[in-house]
Amino acid sequence: MEIELRRITKRFGHFAAVKDVGLHIRPGEVLGLLGENGAGKSTLMNVLCGLYAPTSGEIVIDGRPVTFAGPGEAINAGIGMVHQHFMLIPVFTVAENVVLGVEPTGRIDHLDLARARGQVRKINDAYGLEVDPDALIETLPVGVQQRVEIIKVLFRSADLVIFDEPTAVLTPQEVVEFFEIVKSLRDSGKAIVFITHKLGEIRQIADRIAVLRRGEIVGQAEHPDAVSEAELAEMMVGRPVSFDVDKKPYQPGPPMLAVKNLTVLRGNDEIAVDNVSLIVHSAEIVGIAGVQGNGQSALVEALTGLTHVSGGSVTFNGQDITQASTRERHRLGFAHIPEDRQRTGLIPAFTIAENMVLDSYYDDRFSKGPNMLWDVVNTAAAHAVVDFDVRTSSVFDAVDTLSGGNQQKLIAAREMSRDTDLLIASQPTRGLDVGSIEYIHSRIAQARDEGDGVLIVSSELDEILALSDRILVMFKGRIVAEFDGATADKGTIGLAMAGRY
Amino acid sequence: MNNAQESTVGLSEALLRRAAPSRAALEDLVVVPIFAVVVALVLGAAAMLATNVDLATVGRSYVALLNGSVGSVNAISETLTAAVPLTLAGLGIALGFRAGMFNIGAEGQLLIGGMAAVIAGFSFAGLPAIVHVPLVLLAGALAGGLYAAIAGWLRAATGAHEVISTIMLNLISYRLVDYLLRLDFIQREGRSDPISQSVLESAELPRLLIWLDPNLRLHAGVFLMIAAVIVINWLLFKTRLGFEFRASGENPDAARYAGMKAGLIIVLAMGLAGALAGLAGANQVSGVLGRASPGFSAGIGFDAIAVALLGRSHPWGVLLAGLLFGALEAGGRQMQVEAGVSIDLIGIIQALIIVFIAAPLLVRTLFPWGFRKAERAEREE
Amino acid sequence: MPAYKTAFVSLAIVAALAASTHASAFTACQVTDTGGIDDNSFNQTAWKGVLDAQESLGIEGRFLESQAETDYDANINSLVNGNCDIIITVGFLLGDATQKAALANPEQLFSIVDYAYDPPLPNVLGQVYATDEAAFLTGYLAAGMTKTGVLGTFGGINIPPVTIFMDGFYRGAMYYNAKHETKVSVLGWNPETREGLFTNNFESLDDGRAYAQNLYDEGADIVMPVAGPVGLGSAALAAELGPDALKIIGVDADLYITDPNNGRVYLTSVTKRMDATVTEVIERAMNGSFEGGVLVGTLENGGVGVAPFHDMQASVPDPLKAELEQVRAGIIDGSIPVDE
Repeated sequence: MEIELRRITKRFGHFAAVKDVGLHIRPGEVLGLLGENGAGKSTLMNVLCGLYAPTSGEIVIDGRPVTFAGPGEAINAGIGMVHQHFMLIPVFTVAENVVLGVEPTGRIDHLDLARARGQVRKINDAYGLEVDPDALIETLPVGVQQRVEIIKVLFRSADLVIFDEPTAVLTPQEVVEFFEIVKSLRDSGKAIVFITHKLGEIRQIADRIAVLRRGEIVGQAEHPDAVSEAELAEMMVGRPVSFDVDKKPYQPGPPMLAVKNLTVLRGNDEIAVDNVSLIVHSAEIVGIAGVQGNGQSALVEALTGLTHVSGGSVTFNGQDITQASTRERHRLGFAHIPEDRQRTGLIPAFTIAENMVLDSYYDDRFSKGPNMLWDVVNTAAAHAVVDFDVRTSSVFDAVDTLSGGNQQKLIAAREMSRDTDLLIASQPTRGLDVGSIEYIHSRIAQARDEGDGVLIVSSELDEILALSDRILVMFKGRIVAEFDGATADKGTIGLAMAGRY
Repeated sequence: MNNAQESTVGLSEALLRRAAPSRAALEDLVVVPIFAVVVALVLGAAAMLATNVDLATVGRSYVALLNGSVGSVNAISETLTAAVPLTLAGLGIALGFRAGMFNIGAEGQLLIGGMAAVIAGFSFAGLPAIVHVPLVLLAGALAGGLYAAIAGWLRAATGAHEVISTIMLNLISYRLVDYLLRLDFIQREGRSDPISQSVLESAELPRLLIWLDPNLRLHAGVFLMIAAVIVINWLLFKTRLGFEFRASGENPDAARYAGMKAGLIIVLAMGLAGALAGLAGANQVSGVLGRASPGFSAGIGFDAIAVALLGRSHPWGVLLAGLLFGALEAGGRQMQVEAGVSIDLIGIIQALIIVFIAAPLLVRTLFPWGFRKAERAEREE
Repeated sequence: MPAYKTAFVSLAIVAALAASTHASAFTACQVTDTGGIDDNSFNQTAWKGVLDAQESLGIEGRFLESQAETDYDANINSLVNGNCDIIITVGFLLGDATQKAALANPEQLFSIVDYAYDPPLPNVLGQVYATDEAAFLTGYLAAGMTKTGVLGTFGGINIPPVTIFMDGFYRGAMYYNAKHETKVSVLGWNPETREGLFTNNFESLDDGRAYAQNLYDEGADIVMPVAGPVGLGSAALAAELGPDALKIIGVDADLYITDPNNGRVYLTSVTKRMDATVTEVIERAMNGSFEGGVLVGTLENGGVGVAPFHDMQASVPDPLKAELEQVRAGIIDGSIPVDE
């Protein structure tokens, strides 16, 4: 099936989310659609899926112009979309989820699950998906759930499969498996659209690349090898992007945070952090690399006073703070960028100003007696918003109206606009686009250049390598290796992360 | 969103400008409740018709509802008198909601607060009213607050869910009140049924309108109600403590990460909620009843949950909801007297209002012409 | 028909209409307690008195149900403003509220069922009932009928209008013991200590069932519940066990009639003819002979009584019936004191 989008424009009120876009989607080919958050990728695909009617322009399938009154008609036309957030019912089995809405029924209108299971198996075999049709969704890992979504689309006989940010929720291993599936779909003649903002990924998987910025196609590449990541990034952001973090030469100051034989339990008996010792100096970035789930979260919670320590000690500038509360550490000069901005970093329903003082509202600057000094807070928030490039029209906007990147910048603004000594940052750029990543990295480097100690925890090895002066690798709750940030080799660290060093 | 990105050059001044509330927000706050009331009244009429009440009587009963709630000085006095305890206890529930606590225990807190108030009210003979009345109110607030704090402490220390523990505390309070009312020093002399001594005259909240007509029951509790609304509004939105309450309520994890002490906040929020319910109890014994008997809470603590929900947990909203419920109560009485329609119908109408407020989408579907096209509004956000 | 006759008839009709509208201008208003107007018990019986007056005297009647104790003041209040010629409040629990309203509105006539003020208020006529006289008779009857030698009773709340039944019941049974040298015992009430079995509400049919079950388990085969509609739960239990195992003595109204589903389990009922006294009070208010004070219903004036045995007619032995007549005469002439 060959699909052409001709001069598609989609306006919401006066704002054009998609402007005059023309795209060619061919069978047996993966089209990578690259763009920052808010560039119009999702809007464009929602037009293609029949969720939105285009303001102007037309969709042409195999030479015939079509219009979709709703998603149902697009599905019938052979267009299927795998959304970023899965739409599965956790307590149903795979087969039940797959047939939901188009249930095969028997003669007396009963649900023919046996037939459903058979069809799921057939799709499994055809594309090497390996999903048990009888497994309950809630028991499946995220990667497998995504495959169920793919089966759903294929079950509805889609010839065009659209993936919206498919790798955002996957572990590196799952990403590898996922790419294999995409390739087998392509090789069987399906047309694939792969939406992402990750440069590395798109060059790996796409046969052709189109870059969207502010609703317009700003560049196309017939061969991914023909463009470099830097070129793609520039097209996407609209200006040259540097991947190297600019920072002063490494001249560590005195030790600032000293952790000795720290042990933390998860629940009551399982050891999450096992006898960890580490030191963070002033004017130094220490990166902790590791596959997610090897005790990094527990380590950070222990260092920030959020969880109980069962053994060992933590000293900060010579002072024992093992038992100090979160608030006390905060007052001593800790800044903390939590790993999950929505759940622990921000209060999405609160305004930007309120979130800006979430952990400093009690400070004399912002309150007097029992009263909050909201005028002072708002002004300070406005300055921080400008200073940290948080894009918003007003500090009274609720945080949940911001994009992920702006939310993360807001947290960075809150934590780093204070006068702090030590920054602990978990996954500081997870899910962000290139522009935001670059910005946050530069602020972290700046903090270090000004003499702060920085501890970065990230599962993105590239991030660790780009920022760190020293790299520690965490595996099964323990620090298993240490590298010099300037000379470390990606492969060796990768081995250490897998526990083979 | 994308609009915003185009105007990033905005100076601090623009950033400090508050956006006017969106039309959708206004619709939710104003149009939905109005329609909800209207639909509830229409369905109430249908219920009456279904039970063989003729159309003329239905009409008469709604006229009586209006008359009995706002149609005369006495009606307004009755409406306000009924609204005071509902609003006070509703404020407590709303405060709990804001802090993430679902406090079902206002009924029990109200009973315990009322008992403490009645004891303070008949003891301390010879005190001047200016000392005695505040003392009675304080006793009620303190007792209600401590009683509720038990549930807060259980939640903070052991994780016991406050819904369960406050329901259990309600049950305990019923029996406790029965028991207390039979104690010699509380029970009225010469009575063998559980009823307390009457509070002293110096402990009564002064009636405000007896110079007009001795039957007008409106008392100084109405000032208490307004003061409470103002104070809770200030507390929630202008103070550090209120910020902590709201943060913990919206996202307890983020509040904890920000260094707020979850346990302390839970106990404080429950304590304050209970104090307001206790104040409602004190208001009843010292402003309306003059004594305590086993049923003096009269379900106010449960109605207050509906009041808080209807008021969207906002102090001024709670006040409006309290006034509406008070009006329904006072008007319902008149409905029964004049049209002979069962008082139970008022309960049905109240319930229907809550149902429709809780389901704004239902109201939007029923009255599509009352709202801007929802689809467009959402997309423009 | 000659023209003048037609005119005369029309005039008469108009006059009659005018008279009737004039008569219905007299309005009697009733405030119930939390039991509600349809409680099969005293609220309903009192309301019947208003309805009877509506029939016989052509008045207009209105009622207002109280849903909670907090409603008493408010309900009376809303009637004070509602053009009622007389306000009838039902029940001991409305005593305080009625007094308050009567003092505040000296021009308004009140009457309260089951309560009297000492000293009396000039605008309130209390209606009280010497139910112990009738209950004495049923106690005597029950003692004569029991096979197990154990009787039971329980009350709603420990207040005089309730316990007076239990006093009479207990003493009637003891009088039977003295006369026949039997040892029938009464569970659930001790007139000396004033302690006994109480459900503490007038609403829960479940309590009525449970309390009767307890008494039955203790051997009682005749139970008198004095708790308004709560007793209907006891009757339901008796209907399941069968009247041979458990009989119920009703109170307030003849429950054989008001609770027809379980009619067969009622041995008899102590009737408190509130309908009669309410009609009487309305009549007094209408013809101007109303005076504050107390109206006492007795066996003698028919204000209290014992209902017919209905289905049990045959099972009550004739000698016992004769004795009951003697006791009744003794109570009326004062030779048998019911209060010791």
